[in-house]
Amino acid sequence: MSWVGKSLRRKEDERLVRGQGLFADDELGAGMLHLYILRSPYAHARILSIDTAAAEALPGVVCVLTGKDVLEHCDPYMQLGPEPCDKIRDLPLAVDKVIFQGEPVAAVAATSPGIAMDAGQLIDVDYEMLDAVVDAEEALTDKIILHEAAGTNRTWHGVYEYGDVEKAFRDAVHVVRIPRMHFHRYASTPLEGNACVAEWTRQGTVDFLCNNSFPGFAQQLLAPGLRLKSDQVRIRTYDIGGSFGNKIWNYVYMALAALASKKAGGRRVKWAELRTENLLGSGHGNERTFLDTEVALDKHGVITAIRSRHIDDCGAYTRYEPLGCVIWSQVLPATFKLRNMRIDFTQTVTNKCPAVPNRGYSRMQHLWFMERIIDICAHELRIPADEIRLRNYITEFPYETPNGCVYDSGNYPAMLAKAKQLVDWDKWKKMQVAARADGRLIGIGIGTTLDSGTNNFGQAQIMNPHLPFSGNAEVCTMRLDFDGALVVSLGTGPSGQGHETATSQVVADELGIDPSMVQVRSGFDTGWNTYVGHSGTYASQFAVTGLSAVHGACQKLKAEMRKLAAFLLEAAEDQLEFGTGAQGPEVRVRGTDKAIGYWQLSNVINNNNAMLDERMADVTLNIRHVYRPPFRVPDTKRKFGNLTLTYAAQLHIAVIEVSRETSRAQILAYAAVDDCGTVINPQIVAGQVHGATSHGIGAALMETFDYDETGNLLTSTFSDYCPITSLNIPDIAYGSIQTPSPFSYSGAKGMGEGGGAPLHSISAAVQDALYEAGVIVTGSHHSPPAIFAALQKPNRAQAVSVEKR
Amino acid sequence: MYPAPFRYHRAASIEAAIRQLSELGEGARALAGGQSLLVWLKMRFGEVSDLVDIGRIPGLDAITQDAAGVRIGALATHARIARSPLAKLLPIVGDCANGIADNQVRSRGTIGGSLASGDPSCDWPVLLTTLDANLHTQGPGGARDLPVDGFVEDLYVTKLKPGELITGISFAMPVKGSAGAYVGFKRCAPAYPTISVGVQLSLKGEQCEDVRIALGSAGLTTIHARAAEAELKGKTLTPATLARAADAAVAASDPVDDQRGPIAFKQSIIKVLVRRGIETAKRRCHGETVEVSHEYY
Repeated sequence: MSWVGKSLRRKEDERLVRGQGLFADDELGAGMLHLYILRSPYAHARILSIDTAAAEALPGVVCVLTGKDVLEHCDPYMQLGPEPCDKIRDLPLAVDKVIFQGEPVAAVAATSPGIAMDAGQLIDVDYEMLDAVVDAEEALTDKIILHEAAGTNRTWHGVYEYGDVEKAFRDAVHVVRIPRMHFHRYASTPLEGNACVAEWTRQGTVDFLCNNSFPGFAQQLLAPGLRLKSDQVRIRTYDIGGSFGNKIWNYVYMALAALASKKAGGRRVKWAELRTENLLGSGHGNERTFLDTEVALDKHGVITAIRSRHIDDCGAYTRYEPLGCVIWSQVLPATFKLRNMRIDFTQTVTNKCPAVPNRGYSRMQHLWFMERIIDICAHELRIPADEIRLRNYITEFPYETPNGCVYDSGNYPAMLAKAKQLVDWDKWKKMQVAARADGRLIGIGIGTTLDSGTNNFGQAQIMNPHLPFSGNAEVCTMRLDFDGALVVSLGTGPSGQGHETATSQVVADELGIDPSMVQVRSGFDTGWNTYVGHSGTYASQFAVTGLSAVHGACQKLKAEMRKLAAFLLEAAEDQLEFGTGAQGPEVRVRGTDKAIGYWQLSNVINNNNAMLDERMADVTLNIRHVYRPPFRVPDTKRKFGNLTLTYAAQLHIAVIEVSRETSRAQILAYAAVDDCGTVINPQIVAGQVHGATSHGIGAALMETFDYDETGNLLTSTFSDYCPITSLNIPDIAYGSIQTPSPFSYSGAKGMGEGGGAPLHSISAAVQDALYEAGVIVTGSHHSPPAIFAALQKPNRAQAVSVEKR
Repeated sequence: MYPAPFRYHRAASIEAAIRQLSELGEGARALAGGQSLLVWLKMRFGEVSDLVDIGRIPGLDAITQDAAGVRIGALATHARIARSPLAKLLPIVGDCANGIADNQVRSRGTIGGSLASGDPSCDWPVLLTTLDANLHTQGPGGARDLPVDGFVEDLYVTKLKPGELITGISFAMPVKGSAGAYVGFKRCAPAYPTISVGVQLSLKGEQCEDVRIALGSAGLTTIHARAAEAELKGKTLTPATLARAADAAVAASDPVDDQRGPIAFKQSIIKVLVRRGIETAKRRCHGETVEVSHEYY
C-alpha cells in the first residue's frame, strides 16, 4: 500500500473551506492598533515637508510615523545587488523623495482601521513634482535619475556568452532578425494581501505574525533593518492566502508595524493591505524588453545561435532584484539544443512599483522570448510549428546546457504528442483551413516551457560575487509521539500548496502508518519551530527540498526505532521489520510474534526509561534532518554552473479565434500537459497546473499594469485590472507524463510556478491567427485593444527580417 | 477601504427623506442600494457628512405593467427586475438587468440609484433612453416628470435638485412589432462596460418604422444617437444601411482614451455593437427568441 501517488484529500481543506484558517489579518486582540500607510500620489516628487499635527490630534490616533522616525530607528535594508545597488537607500518610508506612485510616506497607528485612515487624510505632505521616467530604455539614458546617490538607473549589467556565436552566424543558412520584443508587466495578485501583526515586546524583541513566504530570508533582512539581532526578530506564519513569490518582499513594510508598536509602547499593531494598495504599491512582475535579436539557423530550421540584448525593468527599488538578472539563465537555451548564445543583460530602475518574484519569476520572461523566436522562425521559414520544435528539442537527458545547468530528465516530443491528442490537433488544423476560407482568424499555438526548481543560491554570486549565499536547504523535525502519531514540522511555510497532505503521504509510506497518524505543524516560526536560512515556499522546490528533508528524517527516525526495538526485544537489528500488528504499527522480529508498538517505543523514551542503558543514550525519537541538494558554487566569471536541481516541463496548446469584429482573442480549445517527474499527489499537481494555467491566461489576455507617462497607474483597482476569474477560464484538457528525476530521492521534481506556458502558447496562437494579416507578435499581452492596434498597423516589415545565405 | 465618518439616518417615508435631506444640506446624500455611493465613500470622493437611507421605504420597489405602460419603482434592484415577468415580456430589459456586474451588486443595486449616480458607464440610463422612459421625482418643490434622455447633464451631474429623489421610472409599452436589444462589451462581469448599446426597433415588414439607439460608456453621458436613427428610419434594413447607422453612431460618440482602450478601438466596438443590437432587435421583431448577453474579454 503506497500513499505517494494517490490523490489523498487535502488535510488543510477542512479548516480552510470552513473559514477556520488563521490568516494574519484574522488575528485580533484587546488593545490592538491598526496601521494605515499614507502613499504617494506621485511617481516622482521631492518631499518638502510633512505636517502630522492634525492627524496626531485626532482621537483614537496613537502615533504617526514619518521618514524622520524611520531614519532614527532603522538602517537601510541590505540590497542584494553589487555597485551601484549598495548606494540605494531602501527604507520602509520615503525620506526626502518618492520614486513611485504608491510609495509609503507616512504611517498612522490608531484604535481602528477607519480612524487610522481618517488620520491619514489629515497628514499634509508638501511635494515638489519631478519628471518621471517609466520607460526602461529612456531610464537607461540617465536623464532622470531615481537614486541620486547611485548616480545611475542602471542597476546591473552582464554578458552571458557561451559557445562560438560568431562562427555559428558565419555558418548559418538563415539569419532571422527581430529588432524588438516586449514582455509586459502584471502580477498574480494573491487573494490575501500583505499583512502582519507586530509587537515590540518588553524584552526588546519583535514578534511578527505575518504572511511572508520566504521568512528565513526576511528575518536576515528585517533584523539589521530594525537594528536587532536575528534572534530578537521572531517571525511566524500560519495560513497564507497565496503568494506566487509576491510575498517574499513584504518584510520592507512589516518594519512599519514594528516601529509603530515600539512608538505605541508595545501595543500590537496590525498592518493589512487593501486591494488597491496591493496593486499600486506591493509588487509587480518584471517587465522585459528584448532588443536586436538575431537567430542563426541551419537549413533544417535548427537554431544554432542566438544573440540579443535584454533590458529588465525592475521598477523603483532593486531589493530582491537584481537576482532576476541571473535566475533566467537557469533556462538559458529553453527546451532547445542550441549551444551558442550571447545575451547582453541590463537592468534598470524606473518610476514604477518595484518588481518582485512572481509565479514563473524571470525564467518565464526568457522562455517567452525563446518561444517567440522559434515561433516567428517557424512562420518565416514556413516550417510547421510542431515540426520546428521537434527539430530543436533537447532529447538526451541528463543534459548539460551551454552554461552548465543540468536538465535532469524530460521528454518534450512525448508531451507534444500528448497535448496534440488532447486538444484534437488534426481536427483544428482542418477547421483552421476551412475557417480561413471564410475569412475567420483561427490560430493554433504551442508553448513549451520549463519550471526549474530547487535553485542553487550560488547563482546569486554570479550577480554579486560578494554575496554570502550558495546551495539550498530545507529542514524537517519529526518526533514519535506518546500515542504513536508522528509529529512533523517543516520550515516551508506553505501558501496553499498542500504541504501537510504531501508530507503525510511520504511519512505514512515510510513508517507504514495511516496518513491520519501524521500531524504536520503548518506554518513557520523562528521562535519555536525549525528552520534554516533557505526556508520558505518559493522557486518550485517543496517536492524536492521539503520532502527530501521529510524523507531523510523518516530514515533517521526509523534507525532509532530499530535500535531501540532491538534493545527492547533483545534481537539483532537486521532481524527486525516494520509492520502492522493487531494493535497497530509495530516493529517486530521477523517470523515471530515478538513485537513492540510505535506508541510503546515512544513511551519507553518519554515515560518509562529506567530500563534503558548507555547504549540507548543517543536515542530520542526526536529527529532533525536538513536536506542539502548537491550543489557547487558556480564559476562566476564564466557564469557557469548548475543553477537548479530539477526541470519540470509543461507543454500547452491553445486554439484561439481572433474576432475581426471586436479584436478579441477567444480560446476555443486548450490543452496542458505537465511533467513533474514522479507525482506525490496527482490532485494537488492538477490543481497547481490549473492555477498556473489560469494565471498565465489572465496575463496573456486580460491583466496588465498600465502606467501613463507621468507614472500614474491606470489599472489600480480590480475593476480596471480585471484579474482572471473562473468566468474567464476555459475548459483545460489536462494530461501528464512522468519522467522521474534522477536527482531527487523520489524522482519528483518541484512544480507549481508553471513557467508561464499560456503566455507562450497564446502568443503563438495569436501569431498563427494573424500571420497572414501581416502581424508579427512581439508583445505578450493580447487584449482586444492590443490586437486591434496590431491589425490596424501590420508590423511584419519592421518587426522581422530574414536573411537567406 | 474605509469611508470617512458620516451620520446615518433612516427615512420612514419619501416625505421624511426629502425633509431630512433638505435640512441636512449639501453634505447629505440619499443611500439606496449603495453600490455606487458606498464605493465613492470608501474612495473618499467628495465630502459626505450624512447618509439618509431610503432603502427601507415601503412601496418603492414595485414593478407593474399593463397595456399602456410599465412602471418600475426607484428601489427595484437589478436582480428583482431581472427575475420579473417584465424581463421576459421585454427581452431588452432582461438583457440589461442580467448583465449588470455580478450577483452581489445586482442584489443590492437599484435602478433609481443607477440613474441618480450620473455615471456614464451605468447601464440603466442607456436602456431607459432607448425606451423613451420618463423618470418621476419628488422633492421640496413637489413632484416632477422628466425624460431620462438628457437627465444626466454631465459627468456625475444630473438634473436632480437638492433634496429631490427619484421615485420611479415609466415608459410606454412598446408597440406590437417592436423589439429591442441591449448589448455590451466588457472586460469581465464585475467591470463596467467598455461600450454598451441599446436598440429599440419598430419594423413594418423589412422596413424600419421607428428606432431608438443609445450608447453607454461612449462619452461623458449616455449618448442618444439620433443621426444613427435617421439613417434607418423609413429604410429597409440592409448591410449598407446598418453600416451607415453604425458610422453615424460613431460620429455621435465621444469616447475617452483610458485603460479600457484607445478611442479608435472603442469606435470599432460601437460599430459592432450597433450592428449587433439592430440585428438582434430585428430578429426579435420577427418573433424569434434570441438570447443575447454581453461579450466579455
